Amino acid sequence: MLKKADINKFIAAVMNNGYKVFGPVKQEDGVSLSELKTTDDISFDYFNFILPPKRHFFPWSELLYKYKDKTIHEAPLPEDKTILLGIRPCDARSFSFLDNVFIDDKAVDPYYQNRRDNTIVISLACNQPLPSCFCTSVGGTPAGKEGTDILAYDTGDSLFFEECSERGSSFLKLYSKFFSTPDQADVQAVKDFIAKAEKQVLSVNIKNAAEKLKEKFYDSVWDKLSFRCLSCGVCTFFCPTCYCFGLYDERDRRIRVHDACMYKGFTLEASGHNPRPTQSERMRQRIMHKFLYTVENFGKIFCVGCGRCVTACPVNMDIRENIVEVIG
Amino acid sequence: MGGTESIENKLKDAVKDLFLKKKVDIVIGFEKGSLPLTSRPCFIRSSDMAERLVWNASCTNNLAVYLPRFFQKVPRAKKSGTPPPVVGIVAKGCDARSVVGLIKEKQILKENVVIIGMSCQGVIDRRKIESFIDGSFIAGGRQEPGGILEITTGVGDKKKIKVSDVLAESCIECQYPHVENADVRIDGESITASDDGYKAIKAFEEKSPEERWQYFTDEISRCIRCYACRQACPNCYCKVCFAEQTLPRWIGPGDELSDVMIYHIGRIFHQAGRCVECNACVRACPVGIDLRLFTRKLCMDVKELFGYIPGLSIEELPPLLRFELNDNNDFITTG
Repeated sequence: MLKKADINKFIAAVMNNGYKVFGPVKQEDGVSLSELKTTDDISFDYFNFILPPKRHFFPWSELLYKYKDKTIHEAPLPEDKTILLGIRPCDARSFSFLDNVFIDDKAVDPYYQNRRDNTIVISLACNQPLPSCFCTSVGGTPAGKEGTDILAYDTGDSLFFEECSERGSSFLKLYSKFFSTPDQADVQAVKDFIAKAEKQVLSVNIKNAAEKLKEKFYDSVWDKLSFRCLSCGVCTFFCPTCYCFGLYDERDRRIRVHDACMYKGFTLEASGHNPRPTQSERMRQRIMHKFLYTVENFGKIFCVGCGRCVTACPVNMDIRENIVEVIG
Repeated sequence: MGGTESIENKLKDAVKDLFLKKKVDIVIGFEKGSLPLTSRPCFIRSSDMAERLVWNASCTNNLAVYLPRFFQKVPRAKKSGTPPPVVGIVAKGCDARSVVGLIKEKQILKENVVIIGMSCQGVIDRRKIESFIDGSFIAGGRQEPGGILEITTGVGDKKKIKVSDVLAESCIECQYPHVENADVRIDGESITASDDGYKAIKAFEEKSPEERWQYFTDEISRCIRCYACRQACPNCYCKVCFAEQTLPRWIGPGDELSDVMIYHIGRIFHQAGRCVECNACVRACPVGIDLRLFTRKLCMDVKELFGYIPGLSIEELPPLLRFELNDNNDFITTG
């Protein structure tokens, strides 16, 4: 257990040991995941961050190498020791999904891997799911441990820390002087807390979605479904598990930048042919990718139920309704 | 907002009537959204579907954005003998001005659009509601007669908020809430036109160039380049946007601030003499950038320099489509 009043001391000690700490910082338009300059910046008054935290491992725009004097200068590997503090369990879970993509048996993305290896994820269990949340329908829970090193529960005056990985446990040992042993009441408080939060999450019936989607590739439902969509990329930029990117050569450098399957240019070929010419095919791709292709490739639905796409969509395309409409 | 329900019923009846008299093939309107206190675009294809329509202060979108897609295939349709559909559109004052703009820019056919003009009382800004229920979220909500929103907060509290206290800035400053070119009119109480003009813009103009540049930089540096502002805008119908052209590539795709700024400057300047101040870009922006200030400055300039209000009259050509010898040319500097 860590008294909330003592969190400043704990974080200060972590910072003194050379860690960059990114945590919930109160800003003009809400709490965002930002680098803590001082320990006073922390605010626990938030539901979830506006932007998904994938950007810490897989930045929106990233330099890969520069060309200079007829040689290629690779970008140095990121070495900063980092703490991500206050990540919600749905988002932490997205890290373990992205690991499947970027740290594959056949190919490893060194930039992604280095950032992951140098980062300790301390997540914070949800005590207040939002109307857009549906983590329990896609295999998560408000107190899920997947993808995290340490899970904290906010029990009011204190935070209850639970080790979730070896890395997390050896990290916590270094700072054991800040923590007290939880008593029976604390353990009970945590149990109540999980039960209460889980009950509040909206449930969506997507049983056997992958099996059913296999039959739907040529269905006319996609035309109907996609008609409202404006083809902006908000849902993909806000999705913690969307990982598509484009490579671009600029004058003296090569960068990779997040891309979005909602854009018509996403699959435009040099010949001018576009295999996904309308929003109907693009919408199908987004849903198939998350609920069928990744199930086939990695055995996982690539949606953590954070609900960001639901709230950020300018025309209220709701993936919970969409998937149900498709699989019927 | 007295009587939105009766307006809603009148709207349903009017739409049913349009279908029964075979005056429309499709009507774009609003239905209940999936989140509390939201409405969203819907497409009505028969008179029985009209029951889905809603009308309240959460009908925020500018539905004119959907119109060009019905007419894009007109040349091919003519060959095969299928006429383009007649599309009805539920329109607030600003939305109707967008429709007129699209007609003038020849993106849609005037005779194939039926404007259902609503008496607009302004729409809500969700961010403002959230600031009213300090730190909580909107867990439930409905609009009651008399312009009152009953909000259930995340902690289960019930709060009553006046619609007029949480109106979008664009509605507070709206100078033309009335639908001028309605084919069908749904009568009801309307918001009072503001004569506030461009006070906020004038105040911004008073600032030093450094302060203005700093504000622009701060706002634009938050952009994630999702292009939602462009996609939500009825005026942005280009088949290929300059931001995505590759031959030549006008701007880089990454997070270089200069690239992001050029996208926004390009978008804003393309709105001169065309923007109807419907606020669709601002609402669509998922990170809350103050796009309105910049676009509105151009609206003000066009109004002051050319006396032109986009979308009010179908006949009057926009300043960029016409030339007159006495056009204002103060901006040309010599020497």
